Amino acid sequence: MPGIKRQMAMVMDLNKCIGCQTCTVACKTLWTASEGMEHMFFNTVNTMPGEGTPRGWEAMGGGFPGGEAQLGKLPAIGEFGDAWKYNHEEVFYGGKGQDVHLGVQGEAPTWGPNWDEDQGGGEFPNSFFFYLPRLCNHCTHPACKEACPRGAIEKREADGVVVVNEDRCRGYRHCMEACPYKKIYFNHVSQVSQKCIFCFPRLEQGVAPACARQCPGRVRFVGYRDDQDAPIWKLVDKWKVALPLHPEFGTEPNVFYVPPSAPARFDADGRMDESKPRIPDEYLVSLFGERVLEALQTLAGERAKAARGERSELMDLLIAYRWQDMFGGFDRDPQTIKWVEA
Amino acid sequence: MKTFSTDHPLASLLDPAGSPWSAVAATVVALDGTPLAMQPTAAVRNSWRDRPIGAVRSVEVRALQSADALAFHLRWADDAANRDHGDNTVFPDAAAIALPLHADAPLITMGAPGAPLTAWFWRADSGNQGFEVRAEGPGSTRITGRTVQANALWSDGVWQLVLARSLAGEGTADSIALASGQASRFGVAVWEGAHGERGGLKAFSGDWRELLLA
Repeated sequence: MPGIKRQMAMVMDLNKCIGCQTCTVACKTLWTASEGMEHMFFNTVNTMPGEGTPRGWEAMGGGFPGGEAQLGKLPAIGEFGDAWKYNHEEVFYGGKGQDVHLGVQGEAPTWGPNWDEDQGGGEFPNSFFFYLPRLCNHCTHPACKEACPRGAIEKREADGVVVVNEDRCRGYRHCMEACPYKKIYFNHVSQVSQKCIFCFPRLEQGVAPACARQCPGRVRFVGYRDDQDAPIWKLVDKWKVALPLHPEFGTEPNVFYVPPSAPARFDADGRMDESKPRIPDEYLVSLFGERVLEALQTLAGERAKAARGERSELMDLLIAYRWQDMFGGFDRDPQTIKWVEA
Repeated sequence: MKTFSTDHPLASLLDPAGSPWSAVAATVVALDGTPLAMQPTAAVRNSWRDRPIGAVRSVEVRALQSADALAFHLRWADDAANRDHGDNTVFPDAAAIALPLHADAPLITMGAPGAPLTAWFWRADSGNQGFEVRAEGPGSTRITGRTVQANALWSDGVWQLVLARSLAGEGTADSIALASGQASRFGVAVWEGAHGERGGLKAFSGDWRELLLA
């Protein structure tokens, strides 16, 4: 992209995500704990197939369908899932002992982040699911930035991270309409749009984003998109096993996914049936495009190679024997830094 | 439009239903939607192509001038008052009076580089806080002052709004200085929040109108 020197990127291996939401909580604690941000999760993890967060986002529009910029639906707080209110005060400090229990207060919620967690797809015994973690894709062709009439969204020259300039933002929410991934929130207290900042204050100190560093599953690779010595370039460009989500949206995401495989199917007699995959190809194609079939083939081939005891660079990369190697040089321990709150 | 001078203090002018206003003749200003081609981004232009811009079609404008302040009274029909952002999906109603800061400032583009305009702006979620803003082209609006007072009243499908400020202003280049006997110009804009109008999506008076201060 013109004006961008380098682009930060992320690859997530969906075969390793266990849906623990540690990434979600790491982000929530760090960035969206203030007033007006209660309903915000810059990072979400949803069970797929599922309606996602916000509910039904994949059909909300936006992006560049057919190459033309379009505004899509403006997601409501209720579709993200508002913050549920609990009786923490009463339970922990009310002096009522065992007489009270923690519970959601007020009207019973009808939606929330990963509300359909335990549903998934397919029919028993061939049911299937996988987790899909999402954050802002820090797109090369950011629909949010291009829709804002005030030029309030910037793509940082040094690292391609897409940020909202809250001094310019007047809360018009065209960015929320334009983002086809629906990863922008409106803060009703400060009256500005807010989104994932790829932890750029950490990047500037050589520290990987919190969602990546805190991930217990070694799911997330981080680094410059063009660093040929680091895993991102190898997974995306060399091995071609990491793909953007919904490439047809036309925004050119810089977050990529290694597609999931599932255990073999059972046939009608209860025998293993390797003739077709448990997760239907057409479902994965609907998420990652046609290239996903080639990626799955490469993964299966390299997996078989490793199973035969042969060396596979790809499997070694995905196993991530050395945790720090996942971060493309952004592996500094944040505890070695004296952070100062602005 | 001529402003009328009044002996009433500013405080009584701030009541949109107050008696000082009932004696003032209204100037009816027809409003048009801002042109699609003027919307600054392709996403907005493409998505509003088949959607009418500018839900409010006319506004009654009155102006009263006390010894040291100027107050505008706007009155327009609106079936429902939108006072906040709803559940993300609606926008607060809003209105503004634009005034030129430069002889060549075009109203249709919210001024131009080197030819700014100012506006006294009210939005339904800002209470009595009005804003002085400055713009030099589409998307360039910024708040420059907070001495504009606003008071709005909605009942029976009608908004009535008073926007008032001292004649002298804040004494800065961003704050228009007004004085008795002066000839200036004004424009009007109304945003219908329920219709998704915000920013450059609004109904406006098309071009400057004459404003003669008493």
